Amino acid sequence: MRPPARRQPRRGRCWGGAGLLALAVVLAAGAAAADAPPATGAEYRTFYGASARLAVWVVAEIHLMLGAFVLGVPIVASILEIVGWRTGEARWDRLARELTGLLAAAFSTTAAFGGLLVFTLIGLYPRFMAFLTSVFHETYYAYALLFLAEGFTLYLYHYGWDRMRGRWKGLHVALGVLLNLWGTALMLIANAWVSWMMAPTGVERDTLRVVGTTWQAVANPLWIPLAIHRVLANVAFAGFVVGAYAAVGFLCARREAARAHYDWMGYVGNFVGLAALIPLPFAGYYLGREIYSASAVMGNNMMGGAFSWAFILQAVLIGILFVGGNYYLWIGMGRIGGAERYQPWIKYVNLVLLVSFAVWLTPRNIPLTGEEQASLGGQFHPLLKYFGLMAAKNAAVSFIILSTFFSFLLYRRGNKGRRRPFAEQGRASGLALGAGALVALAIPLWYARALLMLDPASLDLAAAQAGYFRLPAYLLLGQAALVPVSLVLTLRDRGPLAQGLVFAWTTLAAVFVLGVYGFVVMEKANPFLRHLAVAQWLMVLGCLLWNTLLDVLVFRGAAVAGAIRWGRMPARAQYTLVLLCVTIVMLMGLMGFIRSGLREDWHVYGVLQDTSPWAWTPTTAYMTRVVGAIVLGFLGLVGLVFWLAAPRAADDDGEAPA
Amino acid sequence: MRRHLLGVAALTVAVVLAIAALGELITRVSGEGGERPAAAVVAGVATPEAGEAIFWGKGKCSTCHAVGGRGGAVRGPDQGATGPLGQPIGLRAEARARERSRATGRPWTAADYLVESLLDPGAYVVAGYKNEMPNPLRPPIRLAPDEVRAAIVYLQSLGGTPDPAAIALPPGLAAQAQAAAAEEWRAYVAGDAKKGERLFFDADGSAGCGRCHRVGARGGDVGPELTHIAGTRDARFIVESILEPSKVIASGYETVLIVTKDERHVTGIVRRESAAAVEVADSQGRIQRVATRDVRRRAPQAISTMPGNFGEILTVEEFHDVLAYVLALR
Repeated sequence: MRPPARRQPRRGRCWGGAGLLALAVVLAAGAAAADAPPATGAEYRTFYGASARLAVWVVAEIHLMLGAFVLGVPIVASILEIVGWRTGEARWDRLARELTGLLAAAFSTTAAFGGLLVFTLIGLYPRFMAFLTSVFHETYYAYALLFLAEGFTLYLYHYGWDRMRGRWKGLHVALGVLLNLWGTALMLIANAWVSWMMAPTGVERDTLRVVGTTWQAVANPLWIPLAIHRVLANVAFAGFVVGAYAAVGFLCARREAARAHYDWMGYVGNFVGLAALIPLPFAGYYLGREIYSASAVMGNNMMGGAFSWAFILQAVLIGILFVGGNYYLWIGMGRIGGAERYQPWIKYVNLVLLVSFAVWLTPRNIPLTGEEQASLGGQFHPLLKYFGLMAAKNAAVSFIILSTFFSFLLYRRGNKGRRRPFAEQGRASGLALGAGALVALAIPLWYARALLMLDPASLDLAAAQAGYFRLPAYLLLGQAALVPVSLVLTLRDRGPLAQGLVFAWTTLAAVFVLGVYGFVVMEKANPFLRHLAVAQWLMVLGCLLWNTLLDVLVFRGAAVAGAIRWGRMPARAQYTLVLLCVTIVMLMGLMGFIRSGLREDWHVYGVLQDTSPWAWTPTTAYMTRVVGAIVLGFLGLVGLVFWLAAPRAADDDGEAPA
Repeated sequence: MRRHLLGVAALTVAVVLAIAALGELITRVSGEGGERPAAAVVAGVATPEAGEAIFWGKGKCSTCHAVGGRGGAVRGPDQGATGPLGQPIGLRAEARARERSRATGRPWTAADYLVESLLDPGAYVVAGYKNEMPNPLRPPIRLAPDEVRAAIVYLQSLGGTPDPAAIALPPGLAAQAQAAAAEEWRAYVAGDAKKGERLFFDADGSAGCGRCHRVGARGGDVGPELTHIAGTRDARFIVESILEPSKVIASGYETVLIVTKDERHVTGIVRRESAAAVEVADSQGRIQRVATRDVRRRAPQAISTMPGNFGEILTVEEFHDVLAYVLALR
């Protein structure tokens, strides 16, 4: 029997109406922007006598956070629905539906803040908006139409869930995919505006005349790197926010079944958050590299100038996310029968995480008094100064990612018993293993070749310095050689040994050897350091991809050593989920500040100067105060929206997930 | 339930406050937001103090260069005693100048070396460092010539003696800075001069410049002759003249508006004038003759006769093709 939808339709109409109203606001805002005043008259206005920058900052950041949620959740919901559809397990479908319910509620709030942002910008920064409109007005119409498309698709997806069951399920899944396509397209358009402000192309600088086409402005050098970073960040953001929602649901649940439901939801949220968090440093590195390539001044300011301290704070927040996420996984092992076998490993993983974070957090340079310098024997500590350098930080981040991944593998294996021989797994597994091996081989081989062919002159290095390119290339070749070895071991049912070998090699090569070698490169062939970092990232990435595939195949159909007791989690695990949510929201605010602040006193970097009274770079203290207030406002708003929208399904109709 | 909700709210506020407190701590420890020395660069008077303010502030030099124990940047050479050759830049510049003399065969002073290092940083890069220093005259740094001079005086003072008189900046540095800024667009699309020539003289095409402008023996004579335009005008001026023709109107080519007694409006450039009549060329190169006795009013106009919408009617490629052709007219 279908669960009674007694309150949903009324709420549905309510949210549908709110959504349409919000759509109208956005369309009106779009029209207003397209009809923005010319570049004459007032350049800036105050917000009722207060700072215009602060007003725009608050509205934009809340809009961005809501946007991250409404773009990230459909990706997760769509994947969950597909998993449920293909496996036939109804729990995935129920969870996907519940997440979509949250989405419908948050969508209209996002739209309302989007409209407010446009109005605020037009009102407070008319000259800048007129300039931006002169470049991007053609994209505004597409944006508004895409928004309309996303809104209608979302409501069809949400309210058509029950109608499109059975043979119509495929259509419903397609709607979910379409929803993500619209959302991604929307994000790409908005990204084009902000990335162009950082790396403008096609502008005659003296006359501010755009000599390029709209498309050339859209396809600026930071467009795609920013989009990749944002998609991953949005998914991580959505995962951790859903985790916190589940945690609150767990803490407030009165029945065992509801607790089990929310426990499972929290686990999925944390898993999604961590899974997206692991590749984020790669995407961040790519984005940073492109920022540096677009403007060396901006790049240096980011990592070595006014914003370098903000990255120390970023490291703290990411540290909380990794340690907190791992902590939650470790507590979660308590509800898995058989996982106690792996508990002794946890303390070593913990140690690695803490030491790596200590390295990551160590600043290179701290202002010292003459007395302090005298007692230290110079400006830098004789040992700790090395931890402040990029070479040490690259190694530390690689180690953190590998440790978290290892932690997750332990969790996955918690209740797995005797493995099935690989020969019994069928042809599909063999094909998957072969295809995975090809990818795992291609990654290190491609970059090893690139390093061996690299022209030292392209880095302003002498021909003799090409010798420094060889070690990372050989290590990549070594990792490539391990792929067939681990493949054969897996086929001979020695999968865990194969995984261990890949792990050990990657840790040794990417973390220790290249970590130390980084200092040599910094001293002898500094410009090559960026290539060295790419070699480290690719080794870690290759290890993650190959090891995941091996783990899935090796433990496919393995005997169950113990049951998972959903709902048997202590309250501290739920508070950990809340901590993760607050941290990632804060991190999102911090990164928004860095991305926007990197332009310093330029609206459009190097082209349109910000001559307003607020064109100063805030201190970290000021920034954390503002972002902190925004975070509290955002979480309060989201809490209210969720409270209004939540069907309380788990309490009323919920059931244990497994 | 209420207890847990309060717990979640308390945890949320506590985490935010803890991070805000960390932000306060960072600001205190790092010294950011503290008083910075003002860049007191007075025209013609460069001091090490003003240069220091630029080095650690507006010039952003410190994001790549440390000065001994001050600053932690490693991307560029350390300018203090712990830098290359174990000498601060004020001393090291002399050794580098000697190397430059040997390499170029002409005399170099330490000040010459410093000037070159700032204004043409890729000319002689310190071994082991990448040629990636931006030109400080260009956006987003945009130093004025006096600020460049002050920064050099500061570098001289690091282990050497400040000597502003020895600093010989290239003549017309300000104009050079402007030209450098105007060059930004050029790398954007490489124009094809041959295609540009066709567009220039295609009377029915979107550009059709030849209807009014003459190059050698070809073209009309409504607008200024352009046979050697690139030899007398810089690229920035030419771009501006195409996209914003009314900004600067060449002498003798001002637009006039003639209103006749029968309320006819004739706008264009006066080509010939006699006691009996005035001949006016319009934006398409057509000549209109107005008898003097029919003129009711005649007024000079601030708008050029040349169409001001080439930014819209030409594609980016066409614009750059025409430009490539015009820039080749020397």
